[in-house]
Amino acid sequence: MSQIGPILRIEEVVKKFGEVPALDHCSFDIERGSITGLIGPNGAGKTTLFNLITGVLQPDTGHVYFKGEDITGKKPHEIARKGVGRTYQIIRVFPGMTLLENLIVVGKGKESRVIERAMELLDLVKLVDKKEDYASELSFGQQKLLSLAQVLMLDAELILLDEPAAGINPTLQNELMTLIHQLNSQGKTFMIVEHDMNVIMSHCGHAIALNYGQKIAEGTCKEIQDNETLLEHYFGK
Amino acid sequence: MNRLIEGGILIWLGLAILVAFLIAIPYFASDYWITLFILVFIFAVYASGWNLFSGLTGYTNFGLAWFIGVSGYVSSLLIADYGFFWLLAWPIGAVFTSIISIGVGHILLRIKGVYFAISMVALTEGTRELFGTKYFAPITHGGLGVPFVAGIQLPTLYWAILALAFCTVIICYKVFSSKYGLRLMTIREDEQGAETLGIHTTREKITAFILSAFLVGLAGSIHFTYQNYIDPSFAFNINLTLTPIVMTLFGGIGTVFGPLIGAILFTFIHEILWAEVTQLYMAVFGAILMGLILFFPQGLLGWMKEKGILPKNRKL
Repeated sequence: MSQIGPILRIEEVVKKFGEVPALDHCSFDIERGSITGLIGPNGAGKTTLFNLITGVLQPDTGHVYFKGEDITGKKPHEIARKGVGRTYQIIRVFPGMTLLENLIVVGKGKESRVIERAMELLDLVKLVDKKEDYASELSFGQQKLLSLAQVLMLDAELILLDEPAAGINPTLQNELMTLIHQLNSQGKTFMIVEHDMNVIMSHCGHAIALNYGQKIAEGTCKEIQDNETLLEHYFGK
Repeated sequence: MNRLIEGGILIWLGLAILVAFLIAIPYFASDYWITLFILVFIFAVYASGWNLFSGLTGYTNFGLAWFIGVSGYVSSLLIADYGFFWLLAWPIGAVFTSIISIGVGHILLRIKGVYFAISMVALTEGTRELFGTKYFAPITHGGLGVPFVAGIQLPTLYWAILALAFCTVIICYKVFSSKYGLRLMTIREDEQGAETLGIHTTREKITAFILSAFLVGLAGSIHFTYQNYIDPSFAFNINLTLTPIVMTLFGGIGTVFGPLIGAILFTFIHEILWAEVTQLYMAVFGAILMGLILFFPQGLLGWMKEKGILPKNRKL
């Protein structure tokens, strides 16, 4: 697989639910090592896009390339093993399993190494003291951190975060964003869906705006902020 | 640390004495007791096998009798019509059941929740009907059933099912405390979430389904050899599905030893009630069952773990 070129390429992707297009000829590239914000009003197709990238849904037409390889039509677990991780808008950790089990189950390879790595990650998200607790006992924000740790356990290169900052307190939000930057500097690529424009503006280098399943704008955050069409769609000006 | 090691030695010593006692039972116990223990162990394997798949993956299998009936039929017919030696007929029945379970699993394990449960009931009932028809009669002898004598002594049968029950518990222990067991558990917790974390849920649940089919099927073969008789309504009886499920709920679903404990308690309570209050036994039994489900929904082991009497450990 090529080490040059974009880490992710979305090419003319169409996905309809009945007659309603959730994504309509959508194309863009995600550069290696970037943090890209994905913005747009409710129903613009952001979560559908994540579902198509991770193989949870299949596009009607169009292709998804990860590191130059066509991953369209691949199963979710295959795509995950190739290095695409995601978190969900609604938390999807395994509530009836301990924190440690939540991570160990994702890990591949030698048992002792997997446990060691799980402990490192729990330490990173500051949940190591709770390692024997059930995930259901965590607060909402802590579950988000655990969910991120699971994705890191998968050793994903491209990490898709669906509203990571929503519903968690500002302190935890800051910790989460600091962690994302720290991981980014280690080479992880992020795509973030977020409604809070402040989060996008202060943390993403690049942003893509969707509306009615179409890409309506793309550029640096500054450019997006100055984009008239976008402002009309998004802020109703 | 020393105390832990001593504790460990005591547990192993206790287990060794228990196993020695169970092995020795045919030398001093009456046929009544041997028979009772045979039934306890048959149902312990049914319940453990059910729990291995359904307790971990959350796919409620209401077609346990299908595993039992198919394997029971294959082995019984091999013994009755083809003169197979029982020790050979039993595993052939179980392997045959496992092989068709691959196909059944691929089709039915796409369906979730109550739909999967109902489809397994339908499969069982359909097979029961089919085995009784004139079309299958040349092979299955139809609704008349198959009486046969396998030429196995009661103590030998007892040791065989004891060995199977022992192996089943060991297998459950290994699975529940392994990463494979954790992966199966993620299917119960959140199947789609597990998929996007790289877990091949289809493969995991089908292998567990097959393993469950093999163990339960083997016990089913032994069951009908013990009865010296098989017919469709007997082999695919819904009670063969429901009793092991109730036993598992009794002892603790999703625990290693819960189904075994459930099978023992259930059978003995059943026997005592039957002997003491023959006319009321179903009513009393029902009341006990409702009480248990109301007050101990996680079963005996689950309750003991919750109360801190036992450690919250996947190995129990």
